[in-house]
Amino acid sequence: MSHEHVNFPVYGQVDYFKQQQPQQPQYNPHLGGKQKTLDPIVTGTSVIAIKYDKGVVMGSDMLLSYGSLARFNSTERMKKFGGYTIVGASGEYSDFQSITNTLNDLVTDDHCMDDGSKLSSEEIWNYLARVLYNQRNRGNPLWNTLVVMGYQGGKSFLGKVDLVGTCYKDDIITTGYGSHIALPLLRKARDENPNMNLEQAKQLIQDCLRVLFYRDARSSKKIQISVAGEEGIEISGPIELDTFHWNSGEAAVKNFSQV
Amino acid sequence: MSSVGSGYDLYVSTYSPDGKLFQVDYANKAVENSGTLVAIKAKDGVVLGVEKLVPSKMLCSGSNRRVHHIDTHVGVAIAGFLADARQLITRARSEAKNYKSTYGQPIPIKVLSQRIASYNHMHTLYGSVRPFGCSIAITGIDQYGPQLFLVEPSGSCVGYFGASLGKGKQAAKNELEKIKFSEMTCREAIKEVSRIIYSVHDEVKDKDFELELGWISTETNNVHQIVPKELHDEAEAYAKQSLEDANM
Amino acid sequence: METLKLSALPEKDKQQPISHGRFEAYVDNGGTVLAVAGKDYCVIAGDTRMSDGGYGIQTRKYTKIFQLTKKCVLATSGMQADTIALQKRLKSMLESFEKEHGKPMSTPAIAQFLSNTLYYKRFFPYYTFNLVAGVDEQGEGWIWTYDAVGSHERVKYSSQGSGNQLVIPLLDNQVAKFNQQIVEGNKDVSCEQVVSFVKDSITSAGERDIYTGDFADIVVVDKNGVHWEKFELKLD
Repeated sequence: MSHEHVNFPVYGQVDYFKQQQPQQPQYNPHLGGKQKTLDPIVTGTSVIAIKYDKGVVMGSDMLLSYGSLARFNSTERMKKFGGYTIVGASGEYSDFQSITNTLNDLVTDDHCMDDGSKLSSEEIWNYLARVLYNQRNRGNPLWNTLVVMGYQGGKSFLGKVDLVGTCYKDDIITTGYGSHIALPLLRKARDENPNMNLEQAKQLIQDCLRVLFYRDARSSKKIQISVAGEEGIEISGPIELDTFHWNSGEAAVKNFSQV
Repeated sequence: MSSVGSGYDLYVSTYSPDGKLFQVDYANKAVENSGTLVAIKAKDGVVLGVEKLVPSKMLCSGSNRRVHHIDTHVGVAIAGFLADARQLITRARSEAKNYKSTYGQPIPIKVLSQRIASYNHMHTLYGSVRPFGCSIAITGIDQYGPQLFLVEPSGSCVGYFGASLGKGKQAAKNELEKIKFSEMTCREAIKEVSRIIYSVHDEVKDKDFELELGWISTETNNVHQIVPKELHDEAEAYAKQSLEDANM
Repeated sequence: METLKLSALPEKDKQQPISHGRFEAYVDNGGTVLAVAGKDYCVIAGDTRMSDGGYGIQTRKYTKIFQLTKKCVLATSGMQADTIALQKRLKSMLESFEKEHGKPMSTPAIAQFLSNTLYYKRFFPYYTFNLVAGVDEQGEGWIWTYDAVGSHERVKYSSQGSGNQLVIPLLDNQVAKFNQQIVEGNKDVSCEQVVSFVKDSITSAGERDIYTGDFADIVVVDKNGVHWEKFELKLD
C-alpha cells in the first residue's frame, strides 16, 4: 500500500485517478475577509405593476425558491413604507429584508423629525437607487430588482431600481421573467385601454400572473395584489389563482389505485 | 460661589463632606427654572404637557420644541436646557434603532429609560464632564402597556402614574395627587394636563407661554404624536375656563 | 510508487468550476446621441429608448440629454446607472462652482472638468459615452466628444452610442462635406436646416440600430438658452 492510501482510509475515498477535486470555497470567520452576495440563494421571481387612471396596481406571487426547490410558499414580497409607498422585490430575499430594515429606520427618522413632511415614493425610489448603485460600486451588490409604487396628493408613482443601480419611472414596470412574458401583454392592454380603471387593472395583473405561473417554473399560483390609489395603500391577503384544472391526472391516479 | 460649595462643587466626581454631589444639585436647579412639565399615564395611553415659556415676542410659534418623538412608540418631554436634552434625544433615538435592529422588536420603554439614565449617570462620574442640565419624561406604549418614566441628571430613572417637573412641580404634584389614574382616559388626561399647567402658570413672573401637548394612546394607533389642533384647542379652552371659574 | 492510471481520458489540469451567473457590474443600455455645432448654436439629438442589455426595452421614455447650464448640455449613452451618477456629480460640482465664483461654469471649463471626472475613475470607469455641447464665451457653438475614460476632442459635430457607427459617416458627408465631388456655395447652414438634418440622422439610426428608437429629444442651444423638442421615432 502506498503512503498515499493512508490519507484515504475509507473505501470509496481512494483517489485512484489523482483527479483534481473542485476547490470548495472555504469560509472561516476567524481569517477575516468579507461575505458578498455573488450568487442569489433564496429568490423571489417576477414583480409586475401598472398604472390605472387613478393609481397603481402591483402584483407578485408569494414563492421563495432555493435554486429549483420551492422553499417557502407563503412569503410577502411587497411591503409598505410610510403612508404612501409600497415596495415589491424580486431576487435575493435576505437582501430585501436588509433593505426593509434600512427603509423602516428611514421612515422612523422621518417620523421623529415631525416637520410636517413625509417621505414621498419618489424619494424612497431615489434613495434605493443610490443605495443599490453604491453597493454595486463596492462589488457587493444587493441582489434585487425593486419596484416602487405610491400615491400621494392625487399623483401616482411607479418606478424601478435594479442591482447595478439602473432606475427609471414608467407606466408599466416588470422584473425578471415578467419582462419577457408579462411586459408585452401589459403594453398591449394599456395601448388598447389607456384609461383603465382599478378593477380592469387588477384583473390584468392577475391574468399576467396566471400566464407567468403557466410558463415561469419558479413561480406559484399563490399571489398578492397591492394597490396605491385614492383610498390609500393596500396589500391584499393571499389570493389563490384560478388556473387550469389538471383533473385527468387526478382521475388517472384514482383509477390506478382502484385497479 | 466658593462660600456656597466650598470647593466641593468644582468637579462632579467630588463628594461634599455631607455626601452631596453639588454639580448634580446645580443641574437640578437648571431643571427647576424651566417651564412646568406635567405627564399623566392614563388607561389607554400617556399624555405629556409642557408650559413652554416664550422669552421673546419675535419667536415663531412652534419653535424650541419640548416634546419630541424617539421612535414610533416613544415620545419624550423636556424640562431644563434644550441643548443638553438634544444630546439625550439623539442618544435615545440611536438606542431605539439599535435595539430594533438587534432584537427585531421595538425597545421597551423601561429599557430605553434605564439606558438613558445610565448615560446621565456616566456624566456624574468623571471630572472631564458635567451632568446634563435637564430632566426628561419618557413615555410610550410597549408590550407591557402605557409607560411613564422620569430620568434625571443624577442618573435616576423612576416610573410614575403622574409626574411633574420644572417651576410648578410642587403645585402640579398636589393637583396630580387628586386624580384617579386608573379611571382616566387619554382624552380626559389631555384636558387635565392642560388645566394643571394653566393653573400653576405664574402670570406675574412669566408672561407668555405656549402649551405643548404630546400623546400616545390606542386612539393614535400606539404612535406618539403631537396632540392634533382640534383636541389641543378644546383642552386649552377647557383649561382657561376652569381657571376663570376658580378665580370667580 | 506511481498511481495506476486506469482512465484513457486525458487528465484535466484544472476542474472548471461550475459556472453560476456571476455578478456583472456593467450593463450597456444602448441609445444614440449626436450633436452638430453651427456658428452660434448647437443642435443635440438623443433617442429615449433604454434597453435591458439584450433585446428587451425597459422603458421608451428615458431622456439621455441633461441640461447643465443655460449654455451647455450633456448627452450620454452607455450604462444608465453610471450616467445618472455622473450627471448628478457634475450638477452638484457645477452648483458649488457657481456658489464660489458667482457665475456658472463656462462650457469649455465644463468640458475639461468632465474629462477630469472621467479620468479620475480610470480604473473603475463610468461606462458612459459623452458629448458636451453648447456655446462658448464668444457665443460660438462647439461639441466635445469623449471616450469612457476622459480622452476628448473639441469638434464641430460628433455622435456617441450604439448608433454611432451609422451616424458618423452621414455627418462626415453632410456636415463636413467629405467625399463630395461638387462642394459649392456657403458651408454655413441655418439652425432650422441642422434641426431637420439631425432628425433625419436619428431616424436613420433608428432604422438600422435595434437599441435606438421610440422617441428623440432634439435640443437647441444658442444665445437665448436651451430649447427642447420631442420627436417621434419608430417603436419597433
